[in-house]
Amino acid sequence: MDLNYAPEDLAFRQATRRWFAANTPAVEPKTLAERKAWHRTMYDAGYVGMLWPKEYGGRGATPMQQAIVQDEMARASAPPPINGLGIGFIGPTIIVHGTEAQKQRYLRKMLTAEEIWCQLYSEPNAGSDLAGLKTRADDAGDHMVVNGQKIWTSSGPIADWGILLARTDAKAPKHKGISCFLFNMRQPGVEVRPLKQITGSSLFSEVFMTNARAESADLIGTLNGGWGIAQTTLGYERGANSLGRVTRYMTAFHQLVKSAKALSRNGKPLIEDPVVRAKLGKAFAELEVQRYAALRVLSALSKGEPISSASSITKLSYTEFEKRFFELSIEILGPWGQLMPGSPDDVTEEVSTSSGEPGTFATAFLWSRAGTIYSGSSEIQKNVIGERVLGLPKEIRADRVTKG
Amino acid sequence: MDFAFTSDQQLLKNSARAFLDEHCKPATVRMLWDDARGESEAMWKEMAQLGWLGLALPEVHGGSDLGLVECSLLLEELGRASYPGPFLPTVLVGMGITRAGTDAQKQRWLPAICAGGARAATAFLDGELSWAPDAIATRAEKSGSGWTLSGTKPFVAWAHVADVMLVPAHAPEGLALFLVDPRAGGITQTPVTAMDLATRWVNLTLDGVAVGADAVLGAPGKGEPLLRALLGMGAVGAAAEMLGAARRCLDMAVDYAKVREQFGQPIGSFQAIRHKCAEMLLEVENSHAAVYYAAWARDAGTEDADLAASVAKAYVGDASRKVCGEAIQVHGGIGFTWEYDLHLYFKRAKALEVQYGDADYHRELITAKVTA
Repeated sequence: MDLNYAPEDLAFRQATRRWFAANTPAVEPKTLAERKAWHRTMYDAGYVGMLWPKEYGGRGATPMQQAIVQDEMARASAPPPINGLGIGFIGPTIIVHGTEAQKQRYLRKMLTAEEIWCQLYSEPNAGSDLAGLKTRADDAGDHMVVNGQKIWTSSGPIADWGILLARTDAKAPKHKGISCFLFNMRQPGVEVRPLKQITGSSLFSEVFMTNARAESADLIGTLNGGWGIAQTTLGYERGANSLGRVTRYMTAFHQLVKSAKALSRNGKPLIEDPVVRAKLGKAFAELEVQRYAALRVLSALSKGEPISSASSITKLSYTEFEKRFFELSIEILGPWGQLMPGSPDDVTEEVSTSSGEPGTFATAFLWSRAGTIYSGSSEIQKNVIGERVLGLPKEIRADRVTKG
Repeated sequence: MDFAFTSDQQLLKNSARAFLDEHCKPATVRMLWDDARGESEAMWKEMAQLGWLGLALPEVHGGSDLGLVECSLLLEELGRASYPGPFLPTVLVGMGITRAGTDAQKQRWLPAICAGGARAATAFLDGELSWAPDAIATRAEKSGSGWTLSGTKPFVAWAHVADVMLVPAHAPEGLALFLVDPRAGGITQTPVTAMDLATRWVNLTLDGVAVGADAVLGAPGKGEPLLRALLGMGAVGAAAEMLGAARRCLDMAVDYAKVREQFGQPIGSFQAIRHKCAEMLLEVENSHAAVYYAAWARDAGTEDADLAASVAKAYVGDASRKVCGEAIQVHGGIGFTWEYDLHLYFKRAKALEVQYGDADYHRELITAKVTA
């Protein structure tokens, strides 16, 4: 057991810190072109796609180096790269399961954000029960005809491509009739409608596909083998970015302390109220434990240990923590905790939300409700932990009973 | 960056588990509930032979020169077994003497501790039930070449079996730590009957207790940093024991949920039970990270070592209470019986919550540090 960073990791951190100090834009990039330009700057410096193999344009970096970059980005409050879903989850899926032609065609443009990607998994009636999805892809020779509706699609309006799960065998048991395709979003028959969230912004969308086309050559893996591929995708999503996230929470904590010093109630600064102090102490303890746990995951990743099921514990832990933390924050701030961005006379600090966008404590609080739902809700994570980590018996479910 | 135990550390943990499974069974613990001393001389001697008592003490005095990580490994296993005895306070006093003792004090106590010939107690809690070193009301006055101590020290664990007790008191120069014989004249011991029968507490009054000049550990007036360091190490050690108690309860709950059937199915197949077990595992794994980060930080002498100790004590206190309590809930009625063993660990975790600073105390320490 040795939790010191290796000398080469310390040197890498220093170099990374210097780069972000020198290059982080002073003004938050707003337009798509500005965000792509910032992404490209980071890519050219080698800070995008760090875990990708060099042959596909990545850096072949260690998990520790990737964690350091994300941590330093959080420290510098640098805007995130634009194609996170593609680079974090879809690209690695193509690297593992894709054909050589697919890798040549898609990977580099994904890394450079020349092409933006989205994920077409959830449906109105297939959320936690993802395998119950109804979107169909019917064989038409050299291509498939796609009909159906997807929902909760991040980056939908700006996406050029999507990774699509669709049913290709309606007669097979539900987990065994699903295939995975790389799907062109820029075609007739694809309509994207933004969904307004409780935060007031529209980062999600609905996607309607009517006689749309997926090329047979864009099938990932085998026909009807899509469920296994979806599982690897989700696996990547659950493992990533632990340290940077903790650093963002830590920044928010210190902004909360700053506000608690500036604001008064009952004639004295909030920070002098013993009840507030006890709450702050509890929040900080929980936050530090998230950091220690992140280091533990990073240590396991660095040694190449599989963390697939254990990553459910990490996801459950930080998303539930995030809810408690921002609840507590706005409780401490009282009416000031209610303010949305742009309110006049706002004396609270700007904080970064889990969406990556800056906001107020109120927006961060609202965003915190999303984390325990997306990428497998807390209830799904607890099922995974119960069954795969603790070895508890599976529940008897109607869809697992083989009929006749 | 390596958060895993070394093979030596894992070996130590495994052998501790094997030893305690054999020598500190629930039946053993229950037998000692009725014992006047409450602990086993034979087990203490065997622990000495295994090298546990001198694990973190200098090799020249019979120890192994290891650190708080190794002690925490053992303490986790001891908590898992609800081991009754003064292991943690003895180790703490040994580490205090190692840091600040004179050669004579080291010669007097360290070989004896390592060999199992001396037990120690820590009288850190003061009359007003405060853990804060600056709130200590016990007084030390000069008397001839030595000192006289007066004050009250409530809830001192294992003072009735200790050969030496570490007593912080205010001297004219400031805070001083004294090595005191718990049976010295002027000391009244009143045993306490508490929830955990395997944690024996004694209320002490010190009424003009005479000690020699050689009883001071470190320089008089300079005791506060050492006391804070020992409180921090005690907090980590107590958190490690609570972690062990919680892991035992989790294991028992999961095992039970796999075999107990209701409505024709094992209850672990119901989400209401499975989700509870998953939440318990989350708390146990986070507690593991908290304990071993804090232990490592102390051994490595990092800047955040004190903070990490407070984080571990505050977090694991809450977490172990939740895990041990939920284990009773998973078991249902059987978990509430005296006959079933869950309450050994449930009560051990509760008893540790109030030792070496409770969660409220440590949360205030955290807030003071991070908002300064």
